[in-house]
Amino acid sequence: MDIRDKLNILGDAAKYDVSCSSSGSKRQSPKGGMGCGYSSGICHTWSADGRCISLLKVLFSNACKYDCAYCVNRRSNDIPRATFTPKELINLTLEFYRRNYIEGLFLSSAVIGSPDYTMELLIKVAKELRLVHHFGGYIHLKAIPGASSRLLFEAGLYADRSSVNIEIPSDKQLQYLAPEKNYASIYRPMNFLAERKLEYKADKSKYSPKFLPAGQSTQMIVGASGETDLQILTLSAGFYKQQQMKRVYFSGYVPVNADKRLPVITTKPPLLREHRLYQADWLMRFYKFEYNEILDEKNPFLDPDLDPKVMWALRHPEFFPIDLQTADYEMILRVPGIGVKSAQLIVSGRRYSKIRLQHLKKMGVVLKRAKYFIYDSDVPPELRKLYPEMIRPLLVAKPKSDQLDLFDNMPLALPATISQPVSQPTMFQPALTSSS
Amino acid sequence: MSLAIHYDSSFDGFLTAVFEIYRQHLDVSCFVAERSYETEGDAATDLFAQPFHIETSEQSAERLKRAIEKMASLDVLKLLETCFRSETAGIEMNILAYLRKLFAGLDPNYGRNPTSLEMISLITIARSVRREMDAMLGMVRFNKAPDGMYIAEIEPKYDVLEMIVGHFRGRYPNGSWAIVDVKRGLGVYYENRRTHFVTVPDPSSIAAHAPPDQFTQMWKSYYDTMAIKERINPRLLRRCLPVRYWKHLPERSLGTVSTPQLPSSVAKENAFASLRLK
Repeated sequence: MDIRDKLNILGDAAKYDVSCSSSGSKRQSPKGGMGCGYSSGICHTWSADGRCISLLKVLFSNACKYDCAYCVNRRSNDIPRATFTPKELINLTLEFYRRNYIEGLFLSSAVIGSPDYTMELLIKVAKELRLVHHFGGYIHLKAIPGASSRLLFEAGLYADRSSVNIEIPSDKQLQYLAPEKNYASIYRPMNFLAERKLEYKADKSKYSPKFLPAGQSTQMIVGASGETDLQILTLSAGFYKQQQMKRVYFSGYVPVNADKRLPVITTKPPLLREHRLYQADWLMRFYKFEYNEILDEKNPFLDPDLDPKVMWALRHPEFFPIDLQTADYEMILRVPGIGVKSAQLIVSGRRYSKIRLQHLKKMGVVLKRAKYFIYDSDVPPELRKLYPEMIRPLLVAKPKSDQLDLFDNMPLALPATISQPVSQPTMFQPALTSSS
Repeated sequence: MSLAIHYDSSFDGFLTAVFEIYRQHLDVSCFVAERSYETEGDAATDLFAQPFHIETSEQSAERLKRAIEKMASLDVLKLLETCFRSETAGIEMNILAYLRKLFAGLDPNYGRNPTSLEMISLITIARSVRREMDAMLGMVRFNKAPDGMYIAEIEPKYDVLEMIVGHFRGRYPNGSWAIVDVKRGLGVYYENRRTHFVTVPDPSSIAAHAPPDQFTQMWKSYYDTMAIKERINPRLLRRCLPVRYWKHLPERSLGTVSTPQLPSSVAKENAFASLRLK
């Protein structure tokens, strides 16, 4: 099998891993070598599904000894199997890097032989890239669950980022779908790496070696087992706080295997749900929201019609509308339609001049949404009140009206049975849902 | 009689022009940059204005730069330069409008206020220039020439070549490489740790020196396998990776090279499964 076939097989096997970022590392180009980190990360291209490609994302091998229900590489699947040699992979990485196709290497692997053996192979590739070829580009190494601490530590010395995927957001479901795995085996390497990184961080010397400068990330599959959005967000908030994760990725479940434990193979990936979860994730990471503000026991799911920020604002009419001249930065960040950049501009500009609607429009604030949540100081106080039940219908995107077909067989009169509109009841939905 | 100021299209040239406008009390209606290539800005020339050529003088430009730094800040000066690189229609007049207000001295805080109407529009323009610069860092694609030099062609909307060179110098400090802006006929080559900016009279002939090789082919087929079929989303793709860049990206412009024969058995299994469900 030549290297091109291997690349196709092992690239294809790795594509369901959604982690794509190359950010967080400021590595300089080593002496006599090439490659550097770019702290905000660089996307090099986008594949036909609109996901960015930044690293050469491949498996070292896809000959797995495990049999996880959700995974395309499980033992019981009849697929072509391939394994790189370290030399092939290193050469490929360097050649791609020289042509500026990639930012570095994302190396994961199916478990071959034992977890320790697999991990050793991954480390060998990273070590050789760093020490023999003086490669300063980005390296993301997967921590293989079950690998020994010694190897995890060594991986941290060469990699910029490491990750262990939790995959299924509840322990019970995970053990059901992946009989060889459990939460303990996934949390152990995470915690170990987080602790080592903290130790290294404490030692601020310029000459101390780098240990996972870009931290850790993880991913979970959304929609393979019946968990709520609240469960998912709770879990990811925990990761950000306790394991100091840099990113938690969500991957809408794409059915790759027919398995009676999983949703039927024809299910569409829940792209909208994934999108809403990412929006909620952004609120936690950049907008200073807590997970329990976004969702609670009463509303365990994100609203498919509205983004989580609008949802929060409508649930808290007592805070709105706000005066941009005097409101705190944190509060301005919470206005739907105002992003981080606009909020910073408003705060730095308002001491010199009054912020008016024309300024906001030029800044790129989405007034379509923001206008309901802010007011001009000329508006009399008695008119400053937010009525969520009136605003909600204005913010929901209207469905596109279709051109009626002249030769359609359907009668134009109303059908005999009006089906009940299926929508999730939310607090602010008007009591009478008009049938659309 | 209002004037159309002709200058040599460099930022220093523009600053000299502004300097002269103040010194000679000129009445300006538009600027005309004397470029060797066409931009969208060219259409906006005023037919009735009298052409007036201003020779670039580094001294005058330096003086104006110092004045801007003093009245506003170094950041503002950098921002103006970034805006200038956008080469959009009327950008010179926008910058001039900002400088007029800055030097009028009516508002002592004007230079520090990021939300004056003139400044906000400049900030948004600078933002999109920086965005393209950032995107370009990822979208330069080198091909290896037989002599070992790596050559890339780019065609950015804004004049960002100078802005990205530092990044590649840091990335490939020991290599030899060249990046050519095909649209503007400008190029930079780096060899023996030295950077040289050059004009490229015939940019179309550059590509012939470095044809795609087996790694380009491998990259293309790798790129094709990375897309998840169930999630294909052409609109999202075009939003993230605008079509105008595709020409110089081998993964989008190269024809499909022997479609990879990939996990056919998985597809088969899926097909069976859906049959069973029916």
